[in-house]
Amino acid sequence: MEYLSLFVKSIFVDNMIFSYFLGMCSYLAVSKNVKTANGLGIAVIFVLFVTLPINYLLNKYVLTPGALSWLGDSFATVDLSFLSFIVFIAVIAAIVQIVEMVVEKFTPSLYASLGIFLPLIAVNCAILGGSLFMQQKDFVNVGESAVYALGSGIGWYLAIVALAAIREKLAYSHVPAPLKGLGITFFTVGLMGIAFMAFMGISL
Amino acid sequence: MNEKMKETILNPLFKGNPISVLVLGICSSLAVTVELKGALVMALSVIFVTGLSSLVCSLLRKTIPSRVRIIIQLVVVALMVILVDQLLKAFAYGIDKQLSVYIGLIITNCIVMGRIEAFALGNKPIPSLLDGIMNGVGYGMILVIVGFFRELLGSGTLFGFPVLSAIGYTNNGLVILPPMALIFLGCIIWVQRSIQKDLQEK
Amino acid sequence: MNTNSNVYTVIYTTVVCVLVAAVLAFVSQTLKPRQEANEKAETISQILTAAQFGEKSSWTDNNATINFYKENIASAAVVGANGFAVSELNMADAEVYSVSKLKAQNYNIKGGSDVELPVYIFNNGVTVLPIYGAGLWGPVWGYIALSSDLETIVGAYFDHESETPGLGGKIKDDPAFRGQFPGKKVIYGNGKAFNIVKGGADGMANGIDAITGATMTSNGVDEAINIWLEAYKPYVLAQKAVTREPAEDGIMLLSEETVNE
Repeated sequence: MEYLSLFVKSIFVDNMIFSYFLGMCSYLAVSKNVKTANGLGIAVIFVLFVTLPINYLLNKYVLTPGALSWLGDSFATVDLSFLSFIVFIAVIAAIVQIVEMVVEKFTPSLYASLGIFLPLIAVNCAILGGSLFMQQKDFVNVGESAVYALGSGIGWYLAIVALAAIREKLAYSHVPAPLKGLGITFFTVGLMGIAFMAFMGISL
Repeated sequence: MNEKMKETILNPLFKGNPISVLVLGICSSLAVTVELKGALVMALSVIFVTGLSSLVCSLLRKTIPSRVRIIIQLVVVALMVILVDQLLKAFAYGIDKQLSVYIGLIITNCIVMGRIEAFALGNKPIPSLLDGIMNGVGYGMILVIVGFFRELLGSGTLFGFPVLSAIGYTNNGLVILPPMALIFLGCIIWVQRSIQKDLQEK
Repeated sequence: MNTNSNVYTVIYTTVVCVLVAAVLAFVSQTLKPRQEANEKAETISQILTAAQFGEKSSWTDNNATINFYKENIASAAVVGANGFAVSELNMADAEVYSVSKLKAQNYNIKGGSDVELPVYIFNNGVTVLPIYGAGLWGPVWGYIALSSDLETIVGAYFDHESETPGLGGKIKDDPAFRGQFPGKKVIYGNGKAFNIVKGGADGMANGIDAITGATMTSNGVDEAINIWLEAYKPYVLAQKAVTREPAEDGIMLLSEETVNE
């Protein structure tokens, strides 16, 4: 039950896009059609799901003050928290690099359409944001962090597919020329964000 | 000054603006534009970081193995941001207190990475430095415009001093909410593309 | 040179990682004393601001701040969960609980293990109690200053790690938010000891208005205040019982011995 409420909460109430506005850049740029949005969304779910538990373990057993005490008493006072940013980022970048290699090898068409935005998942704030939220939320075990990662990823995925669907329809409507494409997308996302605020503060 | 240099300097401000044309660095622009002061501080730090990390990555460009380039770039960026943070903490604690909020946002700002990928890895150090700085300026420009309107309409103040609220304006609470930053950015794009028609999408 | 060979890639990455880690460790170690001194002065200035000894911006010089604190502090101690003093803080050295120490105690309060909470009492009778909790993006903490009746709030100061400037950041930056605290009361009764409510706190003796547009941060501060005040409850109630019949040398901290006498 705990896991289920955490899962639902991280998809809707704590939605990465509409509650925290994280990962906006790739969200706006890669939502032109549902197919590529689908690909990027799955990549984000995957990267979040893999990096978060790894970062959780690193944080718990290496980075927090006194976390190294399992190495012996003399390590009990070591505080490596100044390294946490760089460690999280390095783990994320490594995973992204692996995903990039795999995608390039097996689905070149997806690789071509994702273009510059695959490397940019590494700086997708949603991924680092996930790790930082994890650090703040004090999850009790790896399972919780994995469930949280999965939920946040799916929330991000749903958001980008929803926007892509709207944009595919928008392509056929009469939008003022200067607003076509990016401009109207900003307005759409703004309105979606305001609508999503209805979920805010719901406790599960 | 030759033609290419001029292009490097002017392009990021209008035709290739990182926010309104390239769609980079949106997350941070939503978070820090509630107040003019926050927007300005963020703009200055991003100018500093993009300039410096473009320079360093451009110096390293011939040695970086392409398969691990993302990790190396990110480590360089993060190292620089953390170094600045640590130095400020020791020698200018007051400024650091102001900036520490933005540290995470600067590391993950896609403008920094985007410019390294798209420019610094293929160009000489000096143009890369210029490109980094000017992209920071182009980004900061939009931030300050949005920050100006959001603080003025949302809180009735500018830099914390009462302006509209002094003449009996009722604050518009909606403008303070993050989604409204998107609407303002949309308006900026609208204005820009009405003027520069070649940017309009078909 | 072939920069794409496996050997080169591995060596290059290793060298960069080791270099970066070494630089960071070196910088962090050499700068640590200075950073800690700055952090201590900052903590003290926040305590002094909460106790209304001056505006936050007036505490710019580290030494002056620490000296002012030393001159005005009457007693600083650590109390346990039962409200009794378990140890003294070193006043000659201006020892205070840093934010990371508050964080550790926050774990203890929530986890139900032995807590050791700091209490700062000034010569003018003002008692300052710290609070700590989670805002929207990161930790929030602060100091609540109570007058000698341990009920009326004299002032408060809050700080945060990464709340949004202009929204949640207002708990620190907006004097109007802090300005609501003086004169309010902490009431240990049936309900919450203190309330931060959206909109209608008008006329509430122990409540103030939340920040518009920053519901999550306001809730975080509200929760932090209540959890910590609850932890201080045994101490405050015991002190109230004593101060009704004032001891000769004014306020004194309870220890188990004085109660047994």
